[in-house]
Amino acid sequence: MTLKKLMSLMFVTVLAATTILAGCGNNSSSSDSSNEKEGGGAGKIVIFQSKVEITDQMEALAKDYQAETGVEVEVWGTTGDDYFTQVKTKLANNQGPTVFSLAPGGESDQMSAYLEDLSKLSFIDKIVEGMTDEKDGKVVGIPYTMEGFGLVYNKDVMDMSAITDTDSLIGFMVDEKAKDKTAFGLSEESYFLIGHILNTPFALQEKPEEFMNAVIAGEQTITEVKEFQEFAKLYAAIRKNSYNPLEVNYDKACGDLATGKIDAIHQGNWSASMFADYDMEFEMSLAALPLVGNDKLAVSVPTAWYVNSQADEAEKQAGIAFLEWLYTSETGEKYLMDEFGFIPVVEGMQNENLDVLSQEVQKYAEAGNTLEWATNYYPAGIVDVYLTPIAEKFFTTEMTEQELLEEIQAAFVEAGK
Amino acid sequence: MKARKKRDIGWYILFTVPLLFIFVTVVIIPFIVGLFYSFFDWDGLPLNPKVFVGFDNYIKLFSDTRFGSTAIQTTIFTLIAVVLINLLGLAFALLVTTRLRTRNIGRTMLFMPYLIGGLILGYIWKFIFGDAFGAIGEITGQSGVFFNWLLDSKFALLALIIVSTWQMAGYIMIIYITGIQAIPDEVIEAASADGAGFWQTLFKIKFPLLMPSFTICLFMTLSNCFKIFDVNLSLTGGGPNNATEMFAMNIYNEIFMLNNYGYGQAKALIFFIAVAVITLVQVSITKKREVSM
Repeated sequence: MTLKKLMSLMFVTVLAATTILAGCGNNSSSSDSSNEKEGGGAGKIVIFQSKVEITDQMEALAKDYQAETGVEVEVWGTTGDDYFTQVKTKLANNQGPTVFSLAPGGESDQMSAYLEDLSKLSFIDKIVEGMTDEKDGKVVGIPYTMEGFGLVYNKDVMDMSAITDTDSLIGFMVDEKAKDKTAFGLSEESYFLIGHILNTPFALQEKPEEFMNAVIAGEQTITEVKEFQEFAKLYAAIRKNSYNPLEVNYDKACGDLATGKIDAIHQGNWSASMFADYDMEFEMSLAALPLVGNDKLAVSVPTAWYVNSQADEAEKQAGIAFLEWLYTSETGEKYLMDEFGFIPVVEGMQNENLDVLSQEVQKYAEAGNTLEWATNYYPAGIVDVYLTPIAEKFFTTEMTEQELLEEIQAAFVEAGK
Repeated sequence: MKARKKRDIGWYILFTVPLLFIFVTVVIIPFIVGLFYSFFDWDGLPLNPKVFVGFDNYIKLFSDTRFGSTAIQTTIFTLIAVVLINLLGLAFALLVTTRLRTRNIGRTMLFMPYLIGGLILGYIWKFIFGDAFGAIGEITGQSGVFFNWLLDSKFALLALIIVSTWQMAGYIMIIYITGIQAIPDEVIEAASADGAGFWQTLFKIKFPLLMPSFTICLFMTLSNCFKIFDVNLSLTGGGPNNATEMFAMNIYNEIFMLNNYGYGQAKALIFFIAVAVITLVQVSITKKREVSM
């Protein structure tokens, strides 16, 4: 009797103990693997990057890299949206990847303590000027590709030589509306709704970064600046002559353009893959948003590679060796150009298979006809937390242009605190 | 006698220590750490500087108008949702404890929404309130009722209330069912023998005996509604124009979007105190009204 009870007590104890141990076990095994990763050094690197479109290709690249060099590459997946939060948390907990991606500018500034010096890479001098990410005079970020955004438009209906400034664009919108057509529309996602289009008035300032810092500090108003007034005017014209962007998502906007329902959307060359699924009967192209007569495309580096400075020495070296391989070896180049479809940023590389929109970006870039991405200087989180609600308010109420600019200005002051 | 007591203590330890261990590691320690961080101006990255600011984060809270309007919206949402969820849950429970032939399938169907995750639920209803409502409005011409609810600040809040009610009511129903089933048949029979009608039985017999269930249900709905995040994120994302931004989302934005880790912690702490005080008051009030058989 007592033996039986003793047995059952022991059984329960063992059960409880295994549960607890299993719980801890998970932790310790994961920390083990990270220790191994750190200790084992050159044997294995971990890559975590934000470009969801190239995830499958990255996996293939990992296999090829291992076959060529013997170094194992683990690629972590992401959903895209909350990539930055994820990479930040992982780095903060010392469980970071070896090689990872960030948007140069706001994101890389915040993470600067975690970025390894990459100045010693052999191809640094060949990277197009101004495209590397530098902190304190050291190159820390290697660009993926360049991207540009502006008007993605239907060449059959829109003649961009006639649409050269804000008024002619608005005029075109009004004409199309009279014919029951939609000329130009946005979509509901934060950057496609306001983040990108607000770039133009900032980038058109003489010194965009200084200008924005002055706005954030409350020393500069935007209500009196012509570029912003015209931006608000264009925004009001969209409210009046187009569908409500809050009801249309990115997929639908691209589909509507491809099927001829809209003449133009405010997008970039990244959307080319969206159109690949459609049989289009017209030619499309990418042009500058003609705000105040602007004819320059907003072109910059959306994402760059970084190496985790908190990893141990051997792992860091393995990460750097990977980047060296990616940009100098034949296989690496093949992946960058053919598989990822990147626009070359390193001298000597060429991509024959660029899509129509990327060709346009390359043309603008080669001619030096480009605007900065002032979006890179936006205070962290402003687009989602402050600007999107303002745009939502604008598109659902009778808010005036003046009020729009006042609220945007207040948002910059508030978010920059 | 003594040996027995010792053994009881052994059992007691066996069952409480693992729970206590988990509770301390995942609740108490993070709570204290969070309290500590709320006195700093910090972006959450260990290598970046922490600046001690004392009570500045808490002082800043009182002049934060966005946090203020979030508080008002969350309160409105919680009040309406708690009432609706409990009314519906109770009504469902009463319905499926009658001799209805479909009562078993009814229970299952009503409980079903709770099994779907809040995020997915939000996306499903986003489609209904957005595209489907718009289309219905166009077809029927009833555009006064059927329009994209998520673009109107008041209706978006209402949509959030409807979805959370739809999700939670079935769960609350289960708790009420156990409460109703625990009422002895003799009491109900005695009441009907004494000539009590349906309403009289309900109010004079069932409700007083259901008081323990009310305590649990009100507590759960109150705290869950205050803490709502998943449905909020997927259904409205806080929009339009922040009209449906609830506490949890405001804190999430502050910490993960705007990188104000310390300030977000201060908000979270105030939020915790508010929820704790309100639910404790509610529990103490309803506890007092519980009767024992």
